[in-house]
Amino acid sequence: MNYPFWDVPVSYGVLMAVIAVFHVFVSHFAIGGGLYLVVSEHLARKAGDARRLEFLERLSKFFVLTTLVAGALTGVGIWFIIGLISPTATEALIHNYVWGWATEWTFFVVEIAAAMIYFYGWKTMAPRAHMAVGWIYFVFAWLSLFIINGIVTFMLTPGQWLATGDFWDGFFNPTFWPSLVLRTGVCVMLAGLYALLVVARCEAGGFKERTVRWSAGWGVAGLAVTAVCQYWYWKAIPAAVTAKALQTMPTPIHSMEISVWLAVAIGALLVVFGLLAPRKLGYGAAAALMVLGLAWFGAFEWFRESIRKPYILAGYIYGNGVEVAQADRYKKEGLLAQMAFKTGDDGADLFRHACQSCHMLNGYKALKPAFDGMDRAFIAAIVRATHQLKGNMPPFPGTAAEAEKIAGYLGHHTDKRPLAEIYKLEGVELGRKAYAIRCGVCHVIGAASDKSQSFAGQSADDLNNMLNTAADLGEGMPAYTGDAAERKALVAFLQELGKGGKK
Amino acid sequence: MNLPDYQFISAPLWLVTVLHLLTLSLHFMAMNFLLGGVIITLLSNARKRWDDATAVKFARLFPAATAATVTLGVAPLLFLQLVYPRQVYAAAIVSGWFWLGVPAAVIVAYYALYRASFAGQRTGRAGKAVLLLALAGLLYVSLVYSSVFSMAEQPGLIRDLYARDQSGFVWNPAVGDYALRWLHMVFGALTVGGFFVGLLGRNDVEVFATGKRFFVGGMVAAALVGMAYLLALQEHLLALMRSPAIWALTASVLLSLVSLHFFFKKNFWLSGIMLFLSLAGMVFVRHTVRLLRLAGEFDLASWRVAPQWSPFAMFLACFVVMLVVVAWMLRMFFGAKKSAA
Ligand code: HEC
Ligand code: HEC
Ligand code: HEM
Repeated sequence: MNYPFWDVPVSYGVLMAVIAVFHVFVSHFAIGGGLYLVVSEHLARKAGDARRLEFLERLSKFFVLTTLVAGALTGVGIWFIIGLISPTATEALIHNYVWGWATEWTFFVVEIAAAMIYFYGWKTMAPRAHMAVGWIYFVFAWLSLFIINGIVTFMLTPGQWLATGDFWDGFFNPTFWPSLVLRTGVCVMLAGLYALLVVARCEAGGFKERTVRWSAGWGVAGLAVTAVCQYWYWKAIPAAVTAKALQTMPTPIHSMEISVWLAVAIGALLVVFGLLAPRKLGYGAAAALMVLGLAWFGAFEWFRESIRKPYILAGYIYGNGVEVAQADRYKKEGLLAQMAFKTGDDGADLFRHACQSCHMLNGYKALKPAFDGMDRAFIAAIVRATHQLKGNMPPFPGTAAEAEKIAGYLGHHTDKRPLAEIYKLEGVELGRKAYAIRCGVCHVIGAASDKSQSFAGQSADDLNNMLNTAADLGEGMPAYTGDAAERKALVAFLQELGKGGKK
Repeated sequence: MNLPDYQFISAPLWLVTVLHLLTLSLHFMAMNFLLGGVIITLLSNARKRWDDATAVKFARLFPAATAATVTLGVAPLLFLQLVYPRQVYAAAIVSGWFWLGVPAAVIVAYYALYRASFAGQRTGRAGKAVLLLALAGLLYVSLVYSSVFSMAEQPGLIRDLYARDQSGFVWNPAVGDYALRWLHMVFGALTVGGFFVGLLGRNDVEVFATGKRFFVGGMVAAALVGMAYLLALQEHLLALMRSPAIWALTASVLLSLVSLHFFFKKNFWLSGIMLFLSLAGMVFVRHTVRLLRLAGEFDLASWRVAPQWSPFAMFLACFVVMLVVVAWMLRMFFGAKKSAA
């Protein structure tokens, strides 16, 4: 809690995703594109193909403009934004990996210089020297991936580092190799996709046909490597993490499924247009491939980010910036006592530091609907028990009194009318809503903590008794505080559930 | 389990400081060429002092200068965040949106400069509108940096500002603190820009004269503003006078005069080296001022130092490889250009 909290009306996750997905899309192209250019230049020179050389020169202009400007600066952008939204984790990463980043910087310098010289040197440099510069570009660009891959994979699977704190233990961590090969495959695939976009505008003919085939081949080859590695990568994540994800974390699992379907779609388009009917490739299809590629990458990165919950640095720092090593101390001494920057509104300060890095009140992962119609006691109970809820959240890092303060702050922003009035519901439907808000956040129907079975064959009286003792049923389970109408509706719904559970 | 502690510096402090200040000086050199060069090109073109061909010649260098500025800026930012995270992130968060606007503004300026350079190749005229757009971007970046980094030297101010407004739309209100510092930078940029204009236009009387005018004028203006800045430091001035930085400052002033002398003699190598040393000296003074202003809130010596020698060796080796490879490529490039000409 050494930092102020940047209180913005946009979700941190979304803000980060927008910049990061764009950046990785361009930066992986920056690597694969370099290889594509220099390999194609070799072939073109060997065949004395002037038309192709001219195409490559044009491609390299597009390349320089996208990678050197947008690629490099969105990279700077990621760095700027993580300092704003996760200063503690950024500080920890920089302290551990400053020499990794400094090394990457040396590669980056070579990469930038090589790209410019390659681009400006088409006409003036001797072919051999020009191609040598092209190779230098590719090698150093890939080396910078090598370094950053060590740091990015460290965030998900720090491996032995948690015990030793050793630079190399964290760097060559369990997902280092699968991720490196996977990303290399992505680079190759994207090189093909970008080249298709440029060549799609050429007039139809032999040149176009050959170039489309060649570029689609890159796409297919890269995609094949990527597909195999995605499985390898999944297997390299500790089983405890993937098992937990399968049980309680819908987001990463959905992202993974989506990414598989997108990969299938990319593969199909590449085979159809690129290999079977290259003449037919138009700008629309090429652009569609780009969009699919971007979406695929987005889904993959979303998977990687979301399966890391509740951490930002696995096992080390929680998503809200609380250091795992300090969590017990915070819980005892209170969060407010640790805050270096305060606003005078304790409830707001606590909410921001404990929850707002993942939740908005309204908007993305909104909390208002989760608390509309609820009283302070219930809200406070939920705040204290976040680690019991679905979504694999970090434990609440403060004292019970601080949970009350958050409840006060949230209560201030939520609707205080009863559920029936807010949602205009009655009967079993009202009960369903009450269940979703009061119970479903922990007991997800059809998932591991489903309690439908235990409602089977229970009378209304039994269920009312159960609700009377709710706070004693499980650690963190809130007391039941709904009004009579809501209670009646909930009991009716629980009986419905019980019937379903018996079947 | 005992988790590793991340609050440490992974090399001796002097080493980190040397790398920080060295790369920062290089960043300033490139940035000054860029910012000063764009301003001088625009002014000279507007006053019809230059023909279009000269302006185009400069416009073609700006993309590379931007690449150098950005690349050489990344390294000092890394070291800055390593040693002063508490101060720098806090100030950045309070001005969050402006801070985030920096990479966006650089992208705009960068594309504008590419446009100017390509347009020049085709039409023989550097586009004034795009150069102005680029200048706006560069000035924005420099102002944000001055205001944020100056805020980072006053943790108390950050706490007050944050208590009032958490939206990230807070612009450092202590204008007096950084206006002079920023102006000093801009005049410094004109000085260095003037040097490069003179160097590149050494065979053209009119262009060399322009370079000279900006070199001398920028230096005088920067010196005056610099003095005013020092006086405005008030209680810190005395401490500065008693620190080794006062010698660096004296040496820097003398070196810049020596640089001017060699510039008049058209000995650009010596002039350039003196100019760089003078700038590096100023960077050291700036560093000292930061520590003086932070005294009481932050002490460098409070860092735990736990060197990671093998990763450092990797960096050092790669650094040497970088120098060799870049030098080789530049030789191939300029060698080819010469033989083509
Ligand atoms: C590390 C990120 C993170 C933090 C910090 C966090 N949450 Fe969550 N929270 C989640 C995720 C992910 C979900 C699951 C959302 C879903 O299933 O769509 C979730 C779900 C919830 C839900 C259920 C909401 C619903 O709509 O079903 C509530 C209530 C909740 N969180 C409250 C809180 C509170 C209160 C805090 C602060 C004390 C907090 N969370 C801190 C990530 C976080
Ligand atoms: C903050 C999370 C949370 C909420 C909200 C919550 N519970 Fe629970 N519940 C628990 C925990 C933890 C246990 C004990 C562990 C277990 O049995 O899974 C539990 C246990 C139970 C049990 C099992 C008792 C047993 O011995 O089998 C029932 C029935 C139950 N809860 C019903 C409900 C109902 C109905 C609601 C809504 C009114 C509800 N719970 C809301 C966390 C919660
Ligand atoms: C291209 C446009 C840029 C311009 C015009 C520019 C200009 C400036 C100016 C004027 C300062 C001095 C501020 C002051 O102390 O008062 C500065 C400092 C600095 N710049 Fe740049 N800059 C640019 C790009 C960048 C980029 C992209 C980065 C890094 C990613 C960067 C990193 C830094 C750092 C780290 C410092 C200060 C370091 C310190 O105080 O120790 N710059 N820059």
